[in-house]
Amino acid sequence: MDQSVMASIVRLKAAAARPAGDLGALRQAIRKLEAGALEDAFGMVPFGVPGLDAALGGGLARGALHEIAATRESDIPAATGFGLALAFLAGSEQADRAAQRAVIWIAEDMALTESGLPYGPGLDAHGLPPERLITVAVAHSRDVLWAMEEALRSSAVGVVIGEVRGARLDLVATRRLTLAAAGHGALGLMLRAAPDPEASAAATRWIVGAAPSVLAHGPGPPRVHAQLTRNRRGHLGSWTLEWNADHERFTTHSQPVPAASVHRPARAAVA
Amino acid sequence: MRRGLTTGIVLAEARAMHPDLVTVPSDEAADARLLDALADMCQRYTPLVAVDPPHGILLDISGCAHLFGGEEALATDLTARLTRHGFVSRLAVAGTIGAAWAGARFAPALLDTDQEYDFLAPLPLAALRLKGATVAAMARVGLKRIGDILDLPRAPLAARFCVDLLRQLDRARGDEREPLNPLLPVAPYVADQPFHEPIAREEDVLRVVERLAARLETAMTARGHGARRIELMLFRTDGEVKRVAAGSSRPIRDPAAIRKLFVERLTALGDDLDPGFGFDLARLSVLNAERAPDEQIGLTGGEDNAALDLLVDRLSARLGPRRVTRLISHDSHLPECAAGTMPAQAMTAVALAPGWAAFRAFQTRAEAVPRPLRLLARPEPIEAMAGVPDGPPVRFSWRRASHRVVAAEGPERIEGAWWSEHDGPARDYFRVEDTEGHRFWVFRAGLYRDPDPNFEDDPVCEPDLQREMPRWFLHGMYG
Repeated sequence: MDQSVMASIVRLKAAAARPAGDLGALRQAIRKLEAGALEDAFGMVPFGVPGLDAALGGGLARGALHEIAATRESDIPAATGFGLALAFLAGSEQADRAAQRAVIWIAEDMALTESGLPYGPGLDAHGLPPERLITVAVAHSRDVLWAMEEALRSSAVGVVIGEVRGARLDLVATRRLTLAAAGHGALGLMLRAAPDPEASAAATRWIVGAAPSVLAHGPGPPRVHAQLTRNRRGHLGSWTLEWNADHERFTTHSQPVPAASVHRPARAAVA
Repeated sequence: MRRGLTTGIVLAEARAMHPDLVTVPSDEAADARLLDALADMCQRYTPLVAVDPPHGILLDISGCAHLFGGEEALATDLTARLTRHGFVSRLAVAGTIGAAWAGARFAPALLDTDQEYDFLAPLPLAALRLKGATVAAMARVGLKRIGDILDLPRAPLAARFCVDLLRQLDRARGDEREPLNPLLPVAPYVADQPFHEPIAREEDVLRVVERLAARLETAMTARGHGARRIELMLFRTDGEVKRVAAGSSRPIRDPAAIRKLFVERLTALGDDLDPGFGFDLARLSVLNAERAPDEQIGLTGGEDNAALDLLVDRLSARLGPRRVTRLISHDSHLPECAAGTMPAQAMTAVALAPGWAAFRAFQTRAEAVPRPLRLLARPEPIEAMAGVPDGPPVRFSWRRASHRVVAAEGPERIEGAWWSEHDGPARDYFRVEDTEGHRFWVFRAGLYRDPDPNFEDDPVCEPDLQREMPRWFLHGMYG
């Protein structure tokens, strides 16, 4: 038998004999290579909900793009609230409010007419100081993507929220935005009016709808039903989250729905 | 003219003289626009250009003529340019506006300094920019030329005719200063670049912008200034002038930064920047300059603010300053007036803070119902059904979808200021949640009331006025 063939057999045998833990480490290393060390370089935005953070590998990655789709058109305010809560959490580790990086909200005129303009007193009650926000209204849908990319590239911006209604979002567009976000670690959030089956380079994809709150002399703290339908780092799942603006954190009262083991296209998840 | 027609002739008379005459009604507004455009074109010679309606343009070429090879060369160039565009022009250069005006109309000439006296003497009195009546009155007593009055005693002249006569005479001779009223204020910093071969491509324009900005930088650094508003003027070969202005939220003088502003502006303009056969002159002027401290590097937070300003400038340049805004707080109870927007270029976060701090202080004291995340630009009418007259709606339909209310908080009554009639009736706001968990901010404008007893017996009064039904509106959505 040839010498080299012998050597490779020996190597394979050694590999087979290795404990399973090594395989896990190997997988982790591969995942790290795949997901890009870039995303990790800026840390995470934790939800503060243990099961959810575990699924995400610590929280929502900064320096990446995340898609938040409203279940239906009428759930856009709920999706907005979810996105703004994340925007708040992304800046919350800095105690000094003035030192927090800016939040840029970019939307088409049409979206603002249909779903309402950001309202300062309401944002403040939700937890996000209006001083941090810069709103950008654009006339054409393609300008949303342009403005998002510009904002994500800026080192002074912490969170970019883009309401993308009309523009077609393909792999190229989302990839561009992801690369832009990786530059300075801004959290990119894309608000969609409805789940989009199109392929996307976003790190996570959420479908968010309103959920009935716990009533006590009127409406209680807002609740949303958040469904994680794409996650590059772990398994998927579905949670009912309550945003507590006074304590400025998410809580969950229901157990997570057993996570779907396979990646389902967004459309299947809605049906 | 050649056929015996003059201006001011009656149309019927002209037609009698020439039955084949083609007449076109005069359009004074269009004439004025054309004159303005011509004045714009003349900006290439000097920044101090004024229009003198209906037919005149005044250029202050002091200190500019040598750039074109002297006054004579400048005059030739200007005449040639106007002729090329199909205009008949008459031009005079003189030390005073009055003499130049007279020259252009009665004896085109290029005057040297202190020649006004001799030049004016043989000209008719109409050359003094006088009213027709004054000229006619003087003609009656035999005064026809300017020379006739130059040596007359001044006081009787003023008493006999008008004071304006003496003033115009003094102005024409240079005894009294006459200011030029330029079309545009003179920019504190200007740099321009003529081209032998016209340029048309966007990249070329941008390269020129950077080169001109580098020249301005030297001048601005020397005086510690930076530019807040910059204008690029592009003179097209066919006489049209394109203006592109860009603003920045902090004084800048770095050529690369100025170029970046114009990259966005030119992209936004797109095809509107029609180069035609090319531009043969580009001018960059700083319209607003402010004191700019030398770059400070290394101070904490400074870099972040600078980066944010840069972003705001780029977005504003491309989309328009009014589209990039910050939220401000107003001292008002009406929800749509309590918050507003300001162009982000005009405001820094630091300047915003006091307004919102005051709002928070008020909010904690007043314990108002939380406000919605998104507010509709104007409240949308909804069909609502309330259980009790003053209570929240039980169900309502909005945008053709029906919502059943399961929880409500309120009412919070908001009334307009007593002195204002535009604020409408009192509003009762409710925060409601429907079966699916959507939350809305709805209000009832007006109150359910019994018919006013004072009106009930009045047969003249419309029944609607007697019992005006309150209407329901949806104003905002909660997250």
